[in-house]
Amino acid sequence: MKVLPTVLAVVAAALLQVMLAPSLAIGGIVPNVLFLVVTTLALAEGPVPGASAGFAAGLVYDMLGSGPIGPMALVLAVVGYLAGLLHEQMFAEGWLLPLTVLGVAALGTEMAYGLVLGLIGEGAPFWASLVTRVLPAAVYNTVLALLVYPWLARFLRRDHPMTTFRRLG
Amino acid sequence: MRINQQPENQGPKLTTLIVFVVLSVLLMTVWFREGESGPLHKIQSGTHAIAAPFSSVGEFVTRPFRGFFAWAGDLGVSRTELVQLRSQNETLRKRVAQLEEARLENERLKALVDAAASQESSSVVARVIGRPTNPWEDTITIGLGTNGGVKAGMPVVGPRGLLGQTVDVAGNSARVRLLTDQRSGVAAMIQRNRAEGVLRGSIDGQLTLDFVSRETTIKAGDVVITSGMGGIYPKGLIIGEVSRVSRATNALYQDILVKGSARVGSLEEVLVLTGATAQVDQTGGE
Repeated sequence: MKVLPTVLAVVAAALLQVMLAPSLAIGGIVPNVLFLVVTTLALAEGPVPGASAGFAAGLVYDMLGSGPIGPMALVLAVVGYLAGLLHEQMFAEGWLLPLTVLGVAALGTEMAYGLVLGLIGEGAPFWASLVTRVLPAAVYNTVLALLVYPWLARFLRRDHPMTTFRRLG
Repeated sequence: MRINQQPENQGPKLTTLIVFVVLSVLLMTVWFREGESGPLHKIQSGTHAIAAPFSSVGEFVTRPFRGFFAWAGDLGVSRTELVQLRSQNETLRKRVAQLEEARLENERLKALVDAAASQESSSVVARVIGRPTNPWEDTITIGLGTNGGVKAGMPVVGPRGLLGQTVDVAGNSARVRLLTDQRSGVAAMIQRNRAEGVLRGSIDGQLTLDFVSRETTIKAGDVVITSGMGGIYPKGLIIGEVSRVSRATNALYQDILVKGSARVGSLEEVLVLTGATAQVDQTGGE
């Protein structure tokens, strides 16, 4: 695990979440920059860095909000771990596969976060949150992943150049 | 695609995940049990205080771009809309002349009202320096904190009505929970017939006025104001107006949707009512 690039990526994501993400909100849907960094890190580095970065980034996300501390740390740690396992099973040489993984991860993250909030009594009605928050946020984060992932993956995997991202990046 | 042929030992990796999961659950438990003055709440407040200057910079830098997006959205105005707007413009010109007369009269009366109001409640103007950082909550950050006389639980109003209340205050910034946040609740009433209820926010940003009896006649367009019950918000602050009313056959209460007065996206300054009782609502308005 390369600690410095990982820490740099999480810190940069935290700053962007505070400074830029609120202005990119569409209909109240604020993009989750920390999620983008965690899943990219996990796919590039593996399950342990993915879970570690996920926990740290989730903690930052929770502390920036006004709700309980812990739900996003829990969700991103698990998502980072699972995405990292895919890194071990198959190293993606095309862009479609990691993008599919990012899309599923985005949906899973928002659904799991809503579920955890519901379990601890901070949740919202299921269908309302699914339609107005979970699905739009998952779509928005996946679209942003299309823009961010190739660049960030290159930055994090300079020792293993991803040649097939050349066109996309 | 490269498939790993040799299975690796997942034990230590899984242990790492389990540690993080346990830590997260512990943090959630402590956060709920410690109360508002606990260490985790203080760390969270500290994080907000550290993030506030960055939010402020982001807000300043991205403001012109937000204006650009609004301008770009208006470029699609059709020919028919243009004709309608010209006609509307003529009507508005006539109204402006009439309103100018009313404005002068209003200024004189307002000076009197302000003088009377300042005896009971004082307020400070604060700049909006941050907007929600996640889609699950409706909060804004203002650039005024305890150093400016702001405390947790103070009502915050915008140019057109009540916005919410301060929930987390640092030295030079404060977090404001908006009425549309799902954890918000306000004791409210219909201005016309004084029918009381509880106004709540929701995850989809809609405001509903609950617990209004079926026997009361509520119409779309009725103005909703704070009722002052519970003592958290002063009585008489404008919240918005009723946008839709429905009565389910066997329901005890009416389903009332309220359109809030505030458009958070365009807010730049707000007013914090420092003279009001500072009490954070923990009950959702009930």
